[in-house]
Amino acid sequence: MPDGKSDVLQGTLDLMVLKTLEAMGSLHGYGIARRIEQISEDALRLNQGTIYASLVRLLQRGWISAEWGASENNRKARFYSLTRAGRKQLAVEAENWVRISGVIGRVMQLAHRG
Amino acid sequence: MFASLRSIASRIAGLFSFRRDEAEFDNELDAHLNMLAEENIRGGMSPAEARRQAHIRLGGSMQLRETNRNLRGLPILETLWQDLRYGLRMLRKSPGFTTVAILTLAVGIGANTAIFSIVDTVLLRPLPFQDPSRLISLHEGIPRMGYPKMGFSHPDFAVFAREQKSFDTLGSFQSEHVAITGRGEPERISVSRVSASLFPMLGVQPVLGRSFTAEEDAPGHQLAILSYGIWQRHYGGDSGILGQSIQLDRKPYVVVGVMPRDFQFPPAGLDDVGSPADIWIPMATTALELQDWGGSYFTSVVGRLRPGVTLEQARSETKLASERIIDSYPAAIAGFARKGELSVTLSPFQDEVVGSVRPLLLVLMGAVALVLLIACANLATLLLSRAATRQREIAVRTALGASRFRLIQQMLTESILLALGGGTLGFFLAFWARNLMLRLVPSSIPLPDHVPLNSGVLAFAIGISILAAVLFGTIPAFQASAATMQSSLQESGRGSTVSRRRLSLQGFFVTAEFALALVLLMGAGLLIRSFAKLLETNLGFRPENVLTVNIPLPSTVYSHASQVENFYKDVLQRVSSLPGVQSASISNDLPLHGYEMVSISPEGSADFQEQKPQAVCQSWILGNYFQTMDIPLLEGRWFNPDDELNSQQVALVSLSTAKKFWPGQDAIGKRVRWGVNGPWDTIVGVVGDVNERSLDEPVMPHVYRPFSQVAGPFLEQDPFGDWHAMNLALRTKSDPAAMTSAVVAQAHSLDPDLPVTNIRTMTQVISSSVAGPRFNTILLGSFAGVALFLAAIGIYGVLAYAVAQQTHEIGIRMALGAQPDHVLRLVLYRGTRLALVGVGIGAVAAVILTRWLSSLLYAVSATDPATFVSVAIVLVLVALAACYIPARRAMRVDPMVALRYE
Repeated sequence: MPDGKSDVLQGTLDLMVLKTLEAMGSLHGYGIARRIEQISEDALRLNQGTIYASLVRLLQRGWISAEWGASENNRKARFYSLTRAGRKQLAVEAENWVRISGVIGRVMQLAHRG
Repeated sequence: MFASLRSIASRIAGLFSFRRDEAEFDNELDAHLNMLAEENIRGGMSPAEARRQAHIRLGGSMQLRETNRNLRGLPILETLWQDLRYGLRMLRKSPGFTTVAILTLAVGIGANTAIFSIVDTVLLRPLPFQDPSRLISLHEGIPRMGYPKMGFSHPDFAVFAREQKSFDTLGSFQSEHVAITGRGEPERISVSRVSASLFPMLGVQPVLGRSFTAEEDAPGHQLAILSYGIWQRHYGGDSGILGQSIQLDRKPYVVVGVMPRDFQFPPAGLDDVGSPADIWIPMATTALELQDWGGSYFTSVVGRLRPGVTLEQARSETKLASERIIDSYPAAIAGFARKGELSVTLSPFQDEVVGSVRPLLLVLMGAVALVLLIACANLATLLLSRAATRQREIAVRTALGASRFRLIQQMLTESILLALGGGTLGFFLAFWARNLMLRLVPSSIPLPDHVPLNSGVLAFAIGISILAAVLFGTIPAFQASAATMQSSLQESGRGSTVSRRRLSLQGFFVTAEFALALVLLMGAGLLIRSFAKLLETNLGFRPENVLTVNIPLPSTVYSHASQVENFYKDVLQRVSSLPGVQSASISNDLPLHGYEMVSISPEGSADFQEQKPQAVCQSWILGNYFQTMDIPLLEGRWFNPDDELNSQQVALVSLSTAKKFWPGQDAIGKRVRWGVNGPWDTIVGVVGDVNERSLDEPVMPHVYRPFSQVAGPFLEQDPFGDWHAMNLALRTKSDPAAMTSAVVAQAHSLDPDLPVTNIRTMTQVISSSVAGPRFNTILLGSFAGVALFLAAIGIYGVLAYAVAQQTHEIGIRMALGAQPDHVLRLVLYRGTRLALVGVGIGAVAAVILTRWLSSLLYAVSATDPATFVSVAIVLVLVALAACYIPARRAMRVDPMVALRYE
């Protein structure tokens, strides 16, 4: 199975999930989806279900862990949190992201000028 | 790297925990939905609307589950498992379809597996000897004298073995029949004299004891090696047999070894060398045999090529060695050998052994492959019809998000399930069919008694099952999944483009079935015609009410020609006086029995001028042979009792002999000389032609001589001729088989230790002579029958489906005034057109393919027009009959019912 990194969109969502979990600590799927939508000021309206594909991928790589707990409203929900490996990976990915987005930005500007 | 390993491990773990994961995931989604709904309620929506919006925000839960499943486990395995369960459920839901499909496939796969198991054992497996590809069969031939391919004579072999350089080792063998006496009933068995080099060259060791040493391969060593079979049968597998003495033709031989259970030599299938031997004795060539130049060319020779020497090199090198053979001949006959172009020919031993059955097996393999193809075409039409009834199901699945690829995958899984079901049943069918075949196979077709169904055969069965599934499943799967969602949800069985395409695809498969069936029927038709011609062959004698037995005399006891002659005269006299016997005779051969060739010089013929002796069959006759066989005298006189040793030497010749040597002349009074300087015989009569060996071989020139004139010193020089194993034939008033015990009793009253063998009526001889062709005909005929049946079912199914699909259209036509017989014609026309196109294509294919049959045919050309026409007519008639039922159904469509039929 190839690592999802090459798939930019998948990778972007994964990165956002990791970043959200870093900021929020432990959170359930709904919470992560809402948080991403809020941060993006609803520019990014997700099919919230897609978050679960990302969560499964991150779980399988061991970057996040999950456990059942009670939500604010005392509902049963599955809470995800960052692992140590995940924290390390986030640092690497974030750096990559900054570099790549910088490169893409410059390329787009070039294209625009040309 | 580590992360991806981890994810694979977690996927594999996911395979096993998938039910729990699924439930957990459902719970999680549920919780998510609830939170979304609560949020919406807080935003002021009604609970129902909140729930609906929540579903929209979350996305299709089926897709989510599917993605989750794909991510968590190994999706291919999971969908496979899912497809398998679903497929099984679908197949269970239509038991009729499933049964027909599995049975059809079982027949096709079973037939292929059965034939393959035989092909595998006979053709594909190398001979069970060490490095068999280096083993070469060697033959002498004197083509210009009518002997294209013989064995070696003893002196020639000695010269050749000395002069040749291409072979590491040469092994020789020569089979004969002897009586084994001592324990139990005297039994006639096959003994092979073998050179000491033979078994080591083949790389085969005795299981018990040892082979012959080179020193023992000399006169005076009476040793024997037993086959496993006779060791078990005759000696009860007694391990103390080594060193014991056994009696062969009443001479003692000391047993030195027992060969392994599966060792057969000469291998069954080797032409003209007899059946696998029961006992082997040393070749021990005698000094007398080594002087027999130009005489008995009866020794078979096999050699192992020297490393690095190719067959071609060996061939050219052998030419020189052949020259040395001619040089070694005494001056008196060297000229004949040279003029006759004596030479040594080489061919791979494996070809020699399997050559005679290869054409038959390849034809059978081709035939069963055609049967399987027809079965596949049939299934494809069935699946296409079925796809129509499943169209709504498919549309629903598409609507729910199934991709086309996924649908095809699902349908192919069903096909493979069907094929494996058919394959499993077929494998058992093959087991049975193979046993039946091997039991029915006549001894004239050398197939092994035992053919294993091993893992290779199993792999073949599985392989062709899957291949068949792909063949019959792919096009229907693509076709069914191509239907767009909308059109199939809307389509209600009327003539939409999709169902038109389906009909034309079905038409394609039916046409293919008919084309394939025509090829098979053509093959079977040719064999049947050829078989009929064989049965019509003018035998030249009257086989009814004739009993024949063979009474061999051991040369140790009956060592003088006079003893032999007296014994046979006595037994003839006794048998002739039995009540119910009309006439009786003794002869060295019988019609359809095989022949012994000798060379004669026919005086006054063209060959005589050129001093080229010619090969003829010779028969020695005692008693009323021609009356017993009812062979007509065309000219001259019969032998009479005055034709004695000291009177004029006389002979009868067959009609074709007279025509061959003295065309346009009177043969009576002409003389023939035995060999090049033997005694002269005067021809006193011409008799009708008789087939010497089998009905499908041309008649040979044949010369008959009175036994009384041949018996004498001449015979005693020929210790291995068949003069001491003559045949008794008698024509009876009633059932000849009933005379058997009386005849045996008469022989035993003269010598109680004599085996009386080969007890057969002439009718049995004929029936065993045509047993091979009959077997081929029955086998190919039954395959063709299956093919015809499948093709008929195929066309019936397609037309029935088309009529059902077009009930509406037919109803409109009838409402608009079409007559029922018009509708009938319409349907019949459609069916017949498919069949005719198939027949046309098949005819072209048959012209190309049937030539592979030619070696199995007798007196019929592989493109026999009469057979072509009759087979085509049969196929079209069958097609018409198969179309008639759906056509009648169409004719009876009630317009009112049809229009309401939605």
